Amino acid sequence: MDPSFVILQFLTGLAYASSLFLLAVGLSLIFGALGIVNFAHGSFYMLGAYLLYWVLRGNPEGLWWGLVVVAALGFAIGATTERLLLRPVYNRPEHYQILLTYALLLVIEDGVKLLFGAAYKSLGPPASLAYPVWVFGAPFPAYYFVQIALALVVAGGLWFFLQRTRTGTLVRAATQDREMLEALGVNVPRLLTVVFALGIALATLGGAATLPMQTVSPGIAVEAVISAFIVVVVGGLGSVWGALLGAFLIGEIQAFGVLVLPEFAIAFVYLLMVVVLLVRPWGLLGRPPAVRT
Amino acid sequence: MKARGWLLLVLGALLVTPWLLPDYALEVAIQALILALFATAFNLVFAETGLLSFGHAAFFGAGAYTTALLLQRAGWPYLLTLPAAVVVAGLLALVIGFFSVRTSRIYFTMLTLAFAQLVWAVVHKWYSFTGGDNGITGLHPGALWGDARALYYLALVLFALGLAFVWRLHHAPFGYALRAIRDNQARAEAVGLSPFGYLLAAFTLSGALAGAAGFLQVAWQRSAFPDFLYWTKSAEAIIAAILGGAEAIFGPALGSLVFVELGAFVQSRTEHWPLVLGLVLLALVLFLPQGLAGLGGRRARD
Repeated sequence: MDPSFVILQFLTGLAYASSLFLLAVGLSLIFGALGIVNFAHGSFYMLGAYLLYWVLRGNPEGLWWGLVVVAALGFAIGATTERLLLRPVYNRPEHYQILLTYALLLVIEDGVKLLFGAAYKSLGPPASLAYPVWVFGAPFPAYYFVQIALALVVAGGLWFFLQRTRTGTLVRAATQDREMLEALGVNVPRLLTVVFALGIALATLGGAATLPMQTVSPGIAVEAVISAFIVVVVGGLGSVWGALLGAFLIGEIQAFGVLVLPEFAIAFVYLLMVVVLLVRPWGLLGRPPAVRT
Repeated sequence: MKARGWLLLVLGALLVTPWLLPDYALEVAIQALILALFATAFNLVFAETGLLSFGHAAFFGAGAYTTALLLQRAGWPYLLTLPAAVVVAGLLALVIGFFSVRTSRIYFTMLTLAFAQLVWAVVHKWYSFTGGDNGITGLHPGALWGDARALYYLALVLFALGLAFVWRLHHAPFGYALRAIRDNQARAEAVGLSPFGYLLAAFTLSGALAGAAGFLQVAWQRSAFPDFLYWTKSAEAIIAAILGGAEAIFGPALGSLVFVELGAFVQSRTEHWPLVLGLVLLALVLFLPQGLAGLGGRRARD
């Protein structure tokens, strides 16, 4: 294989991994702190793309502030969802939480069809980014670098938030022992609202950021949520760095898998998920569950 | 005695149904019976062991594709493909269960989901064998099973047998052992029960039964599609079971009936059935935690 082709393929995988990371990291945070598997996560991702289209009225020039507005809207929608729908089911068996988020998936998917129509939507990158960058003599879309940079910025921001701020420290504590945190006088319900809203904001941002390169339809939600599951299961449920590693692995396996066995690239990804669950169920970078007493 | 009276009444109604319904409504009723069998199969694992499988679409699909391939490639008579569909689905469940039942809770759900998606990905792309995403279409299950009434009775018989089987297991020592493991695994082990063997047996039987539902689906649709194995198909069984009430033995069937009939009703008026279903499920989770069966149960207990 020609090395410049390999590098291009690697970069393409990296761009895909970037949107996977934005999609999956919120799912992972939400599972870690709230203990809820959010089947509607891919739906918020899809919703983000539609919100961006709506905010910009189909004109890609205002992309930057459009992304900021979508993330803010995502945060508000996430906070509202958590307060109204999730809070009543925290103490119920898992399958109610799964059913609830699955119901949300249905409502969002069909609601988007109702509001925006079932037709595919596309935007294209803004003119300043609508040119190829030449990498070793081959063209590569400039916008992919924006996506990669965005994922790195978010990863860095999350690291700073979780490791260096008081709220972030409390979030990490919530993933370990919610009861203890409550006993210490922390307003845990408000903390969980913030975590859920943050996770949803990241998912909508991720979905919005793909719109300049991809057409979207309401149907991408059910595929996106499965991709997000694979990423967090491989990386480790509840782990931010796991989501980064998982997204990287899945993105590159997809990018190079299509070269080796184009038909079955997606099967490799599921195989990886199965193997990780069998060998290291808590994921590559996750923590093994503490022994319950 | 009262319960038996109700049972006879329901059975009588189910027997005369095909002679009262117009063609379209009969097709819907068959779909409800197929989903009822599928959801009852799923619930065998869910209710008795507490494990939430998100992979039952794989067994439904395995049964469907076994029947479809035997019809298309080998020209088997439709009914003869039933044992094959059940065995293939059961074997797949044995393999997936072997790896999955050892894990617990969310990891079990994720692992069954991953396995089923793996099977789906292969079926979806293996054009030379499964027809890939085109599926297998234009099947002829034979003149008799092309008749909606005959297919209805076949589906009714299989559903009744499946329900009786699950009921029998529930009241057998096997069922008690499963629930003992569900409620306290350490204690069950202490009295000499091997969780792995019991859970694997339950998972295999449940998968085999789901295969029978897939077998019926092929005659109803005269086709098999990769969608049969997609994770949203597993979600249908879960929705039906929880909607009806997973704790009641007839709960999944009741949920299936409501799910399919309500779906047909709403779809004849609007194309936004998923939105309606989503809102119904939200209301269910927030206000009716015991499922529809809980309505009657609560009243009976009062």
